[in-house]
Amino acid sequence: MTEHTVNMLKAVQEQEIVDPRTGPIAMRLSDVSVAFNGRTAVRDVTFDVPANNVTALIGPSGSGKTTLLRSLNRLHDLTKGAKVSGKIMLGEDDVYGGNIPVTVLRSRIGMVFQRPNPFPTMSLYDNVVSGLRFNGVKKKSILDAAVEESLKAAALWDEIKDRLKAHGSTLSGGQQQRLCIARALAVEPEVLLMDEPTSALDPIATQKIEELISQLKSRVTIVIVTHNMQQAARVSDLTAFLLMGEDRAGEQIEVAPTLKLFSQPDDPRTMDYIQGRFG
Amino acid sequence: MTDSLTTQQITSAEIRAHLRERSSATLRRRMATSRIMTILCWLAISLAAVPLVALLIRLFEKGTPVLLKSGFFTQLPQQPTLFDQTNTGGVSNAIIGSIAIIAYATLASIPIGIVVGIYTAESDSKFASTIRVVASTMVGAPSILMGLFAFGLIVVQLHLGFSILAGSFAVSVLMLPVLIGSTEIAVRNVPPTLREAGLALGAKPSTTSLRIVLPAATTGIVTGAILAISRAVGETAPVLLVIGGAYAITWKPNDPGSALPVTMNSYVASNFDSLKDLAWGIGLLLVLVIFVLSFAARIWAARKQKVQR
Repeated sequence: MTEHTVNMLKAVQEQEIVDPRTGPIAMRLSDVSVAFNGRTAVRDVTFDVPANNVTALIGPSGSGKTTLLRSLNRLHDLTKGAKVSGKIMLGEDDVYGGNIPVTVLRSRIGMVFQRPNPFPTMSLYDNVVSGLRFNGVKKKSILDAAVEESLKAAALWDEIKDRLKAHGSTLSGGQQQRLCIARALAVEPEVLLMDEPTSALDPIATQKIEELISQLKSRVTIVIVTHNMQQAARVSDLTAFLLMGEDRAGEQIEVAPTLKLFSQPDDPRTMDYIQGRFG
Repeated sequence: MTDSLTTQQITSAEIRAHLRERSSATLRRRMATSRIMTILCWLAISLAAVPLVALLIRLFEKGTPVLLKSGFFTQLPQQPTLFDQTNTGGVSNAIIGSIAIIAYATLASIPIGIVVGIYTAESDSKFASTIRVVASTMVGAPSILMGLFAFGLIVVQLHLGFSILAGSFAVSVLMLPVLIGSTEIAVRNVPPTLREAGLALGAKPSTTSLRIVLPAATTGIVTGAILAISRAVGETAPVLLVIGGAYAITWKPNDPGSALPVTMNSYVASNFDSLKDLAWGIGLLLVLVIFVLSFAARIWAARKQKVQR
């Protein structure tokens, strides 16, 4: 048994598990469904995302983790035939209510993608400040400060501070992903969505990103999709387990504090999944 | 044959021996087939290459002396006489005419073609797909159609006369579908995740297109533009009908002018061998220009790619 598991069991035995949802809430999902051309891909998901915590979405392929994540920052708006129903609240604002422009909303909810995707024609510096520039920030002093601050937050400053004019392609995969995290942080989002951010990275780069996630939660609420259960157990405070239903639509099986979900889940299907019996 | 297995006693050693024998026979057959196929491939390549190489050799052989002759680039054409067949002059008017036609056509078609190409790449409306179909059909349309169109519109309807402008118009209509197609492909080849990254940062869709997708597609767009120009350089038919054919050097759009492919066309049909030789020179010049353009496009694309990857 690993040290981690031992600690987890100890915590469980001592009943130290605190539900992070008892604190402030960053986003509320109620009855969220996503359909593409009339076919439901995710059905009736309801849970609260605790502020300044890490919430993991886990489940086998096809369970709708990524689909659900992309509904949080309205990225499905781009897809023809996609329809999101139910209600998603960001603080006091209705994400799909139409009161806040989608551009403002997306700068309040940042996103990091599966594969590092720095803008290929821009320098490292320009990549980091791109979100600020797109939203009209021009003042050099502010841009400079944002570059240093977000690169430090993404644990990349020391590695690249002497070559900010270089292109993103000169970095390793892990560095590129941290650059993308810095780029997302530079617009000071309240929530950061991460879609399997380490699936294209080697174990060492993965470990760095995981450490970073733990450091970042004091600053930003994180929702992370991962197909790696160990990763969910390592980095998250709350875990939502999704599973593909009989009509191939993703359904929410169980949402619980990570320690509880991985040690004594309420639903037998959760137990089967975390013990590796399917998926 | 019955459904039941044959009951003869065959040992596994016998099976193995049989397999060895068959497999070496199979291998020999495959090696022979492979050799025959290789020979056939080389034969096909030679069939394709021989005429091409022969043409190039002939072109350089006949064309090089013409290009080296003094006055080819600088003099106006002269009419050779029976007494002085070598008095052909140069093709300076056609060189200037060609440059003018291509320059005006490029100035007009590149902005339009690129904007339309971006539109067809970004939009999935009915209108966009109609443009897409029309453009891809036009790429294959016989180029003399563009000449007829320019003749009907510029010369007849608008009374602008046979002119460099009419030639440029015909050539730009020829270049447009090529540009639209290559721009669309270049824009579509930009990974969608770059666009998503832009939108996820709170950029407007138009900002995302202009500042992320378009810069990432520049290499492809410029390469396509150079190839469109190099295609236009050698086109005879669209220009032939509307250029007017003047023996004077002029850049003015509303003057009648001359162009290299058109001049070549008329010299080939000439009774004088000296003019026929001149046509070889023009042919070599055009081939060299096209070669340099496509080569430049390739080098540029390769270098850009290296920086970005």
